Amino acid sequence: MAAKKTKRKPARPSKADLEFVAEAEEILERMREELADLADQRSSGREVDPDLVNGIFRSAHSLKGLAGLFGFEAMGKLAHHLEDVLDSLRLGRLSMDSPALNLLDESVELFSRLMQRLGKSNFESEAQSSVEELVARIEASLQQPAVSSDDFKTLDLDPSLLRALTEYEEHRLRENINRGRHLLLVDSTFEIVAFEEGLSELSGAIRELGEVVSTLPSPGEAPESQIRFSLLVASDLSCSEVTERLDFPDTNIRLVIAGTAEASKASHVAPETQDSSTPSPPVADAPVAKQPSVEESKADLSAGIESLKSISDTVRVDIRKLDELMNLVGELVIHRSSIAGIAERLAADSTTRRAAGELSKAQNSLGRKLKELQASVLDVRMVPLRQIFEKLSRVARRLQRDLGKTVNLKFDGVDTELDKLIAEKLVDPLMHVVRNSFDHGIESAEERAQIGKSAEGTIRIEAYQRGNHVVIQIEDDGRGIDPTLVRAKAESLGLVDRDAILTDKECLALIFAPGFSMRDEVSGTSGRGVGMDVVRSNLSDMGGIVDVTSKLGRGTTLTLTLPITLAIIQALLVGVGKQRFAIPLNSVLETLLIDCSEIQNSEEKEILNLRGEPLHLRRLSDEFGVTPSDEDRQYVVVLGLGELRIGLLVDRLEGQLDTVIKSIQGPIAQVRGIAGATEIGDRGAVLVIDVSSVIEDALRRRDAA
Amino acid sequence: MTVRDTGLSGSLDGETPEWERLARGASGYGVSEEEPEILRELLVFVLNDAPYAIAVERVREIIRLREITPMPRVPDCVVGVVALRGEIVQVVDGRMRLGLELTPPTRRSRIIILHGDDNRVTGIVVDAVDEVLRVSEHDIAPATTGHGGSVVELCKRGDEFVSIIDLDYVLDLDAN
Repeated sequence: MAAKKTKRKPARPSKADLEFVAEAEEILERMREELADLADQRSSGREVDPDLVNGIFRSAHSLKGLAGLFGFEAMGKLAHHLEDVLDSLRLGRLSMDSPALNLLDESVELFSRLMQRLGKSNFESEAQSSVEELVARIEASLQQPAVSSDDFKTLDLDPSLLRALTEYEEHRLRENINRGRHLLLVDSTFEIVAFEEGLSELSGAIRELGEVVSTLPSPGEAPESQIRFSLLVASDLSCSEVTERLDFPDTNIRLVIAGTAEASKASHVAPETQDSSTPSPPVADAPVAKQPSVEESKADLSAGIESLKSISDTVRVDIRKLDELMNLVGELVIHRSSIAGIAERLAADSTTRRAAGELSKAQNSLGRKLKELQASVLDVRMVPLRQIFEKLSRVARRLQRDLGKTVNLKFDGVDTELDKLIAEKLVDPLMHVVRNSFDHGIESAEERAQIGKSAEGTIRIEAYQRGNHVVIQIEDDGRGIDPTLVRAKAESLGLVDRDAILTDKECLALIFAPGFSMRDEVSGTSGRGVGMDVVRSNLSDMGGIVDVTSKLGRGTTLTLTLPITLAIIQALLVGVGKQRFAIPLNSVLETLLIDCSEIQNSEEKEILNLRGEPLHLRRLSDEFGVTPSDEDRQYVVVLGLGELRIGLLVDRLEGQLDTVIKSIQGPIAQVRGIAGATEIGDRGAVLVIDVSSVIEDALRRRDAA
Repeated sequence: MTVRDTGLSGSLDGETPEWERLARGASGYGVSEEEPEILRELLVFVLNDAPYAIAVERVREIIRLREITPMPRVPDCVVGVVALRGEIVQVVDGRMRLGLELTPPTRRSRIIILHGDDNRVTGIVVDAVDEVLRVSEHDIAPATTGHGGSVVELCKRGDEFVSIIDLDYVLDLDAN
């Protein structure tokens, strides 16, 4: 992703720069998501999840470390201030409605911008000045007084325990009291040899019931071989409820302060259990399982590195390495099929039949394991669409500003997963489509008011999985597209014949024609005539398809259908004459055996009555100029992409196989209708049919009446 | 990998040794220390009984003729694709490309696999592979006439001339 971005730049950043960008991009991407969540939570009026703030803090912290590591001073400075803001926020020194929060998004954007300019000659000075400017604003916004540290003295707690609380823990304590939760003190003793285990078990159990505000060892009255811990716990459950559910030996639970949220029935206090004899040691030295997310902001250098390391247990892998892995798996699959072939041959001979049976059994279980391996490798490549949708909403925010239109962007199915490679290629087409909806689809606020629509337009983007495809629908409630206008425009651009007879749907489809644009003058947003045709060609490169429907005055829906992955496909092997082709199975809806007499003719086009619906037929032999065998019966392979259907006539069905589509090397770079080729066991190369272009061509031929 | 039907080089572990052997033979391996300055190495092959040559650096390997899967919608001279250890490579028929008389393949027919940047690895079907020729520049003369620009130079080998093929021209099929 990063490499792609930087490729377009004239001045090339160094390899180290690229490494930095790759890593920083990932952190920024995460921060964007987190900030969006934060904004959601703030606006919903709910309590902001402390772990979320901690997460953003950690991201900023990593960013600072990273910038420092690579020697980007300005970026390091920005990250440092970001970290400050977030630290104040998580410690409660800064309230959730501080103006400083609005600068977080801006900081992240500045980061992205700076990274794109990396390697330019005056980069450092430019970065310096823009960072300085933003930092000044951040500092100004922080000038509001800190929330005063109120006293917990009224609490029925050992003062030594209170003193040992970190600032963050104090903040959490205050927050929980304000929220009206019950505050409990859980005392427990553990055998020293096994206390870590016992403690984390206890903390885990408590977390199911509430929040562990602080965990402090209290070495008071415990016997030699044991260690005592006090856990300060905030919970919506009453003391007796917690006691009931927390079944641990040597554990004592008492109420410190009853919550206000719910009438406290159990206000029973047992002060005699506390020990005030020795002050608790400082938290930093305590070998306790604190809330996993908490870390000290003033950590020393080594601790900083430690925390950088522990932030994530994920590994970033170059997608090409995964491709290699995928290829290897694919080749294994091919080898397996040759073993199957050997087993078949052995089975034909009576002397080797037994061995053949065993071989084929072994080969089958190998096949099952290979399937699992394949599935796991595929799974690694999958990313949720959330990341792309995040990008879209940023673009949308900018468009709102630029166009002065208020548009509500709604997302559905953000967790739908796609192959990383396809997801990357999807960004641009999706961007185009959303831009078009903004620019052409949604009317201005005045216009909307006149026709009785709400001033705010809506663009709904929904993603869902259907079989081996992912469908993404972009629906706006704008003015819709007038097919007659599209047609007139297309005629004036010379894209369609004046006397061609087109249905409304076909007229609409003209927006995908190369060079088509509805705008008379070019706008900054869209209207350069490179839009929808790019969308279509990008999608068809991935084996996908785009479709449009529109209701005049009501809105437009674009439907993008794409395969979940390009890496390994299941293919149907078909035969025509002496040749063999593979068809990706994810585009095959069904296969039928028909008698040639069932084929009907309509205006020299062949159609089949498929359960009452006309199915347009295309002979594969005609498509690729192959001499067919002269058979009375033919197989129809019903191909479908999105809403489009055709039937492909072939002589034979020769079975299914798992395969990796390889690009074809040689002097001819592209052949329409051929997506690539694959190697099948010992049977040589087989061409893989590009279903989307075959369908498109067949339907174009049908429509060119 | 296909099993060889004849054992020309006797090597089992690949197709390359065959022309390596040819190369060694041509260089007079271990025969003479005082060779003239060698400027060019050419792989000589046979089409329609006439010798043709290409630069050795362009050759990746030489394989026996194997089953070629026909490919639609390409110029006639692209006879199809072969699978080569996981790669799928287009194969051009040398006779057809140069406009020579067509004959069925023989046991001596070979596919010369050429290096190619950017997904351009290509195979060329020839009647037979002859030898690797080491020649100095003064044995090479520009060709005044050729097969439509395919032959750019001629190289003297004993009494006869070997036609040196301009691969960039011959393989520029997208434009033709």
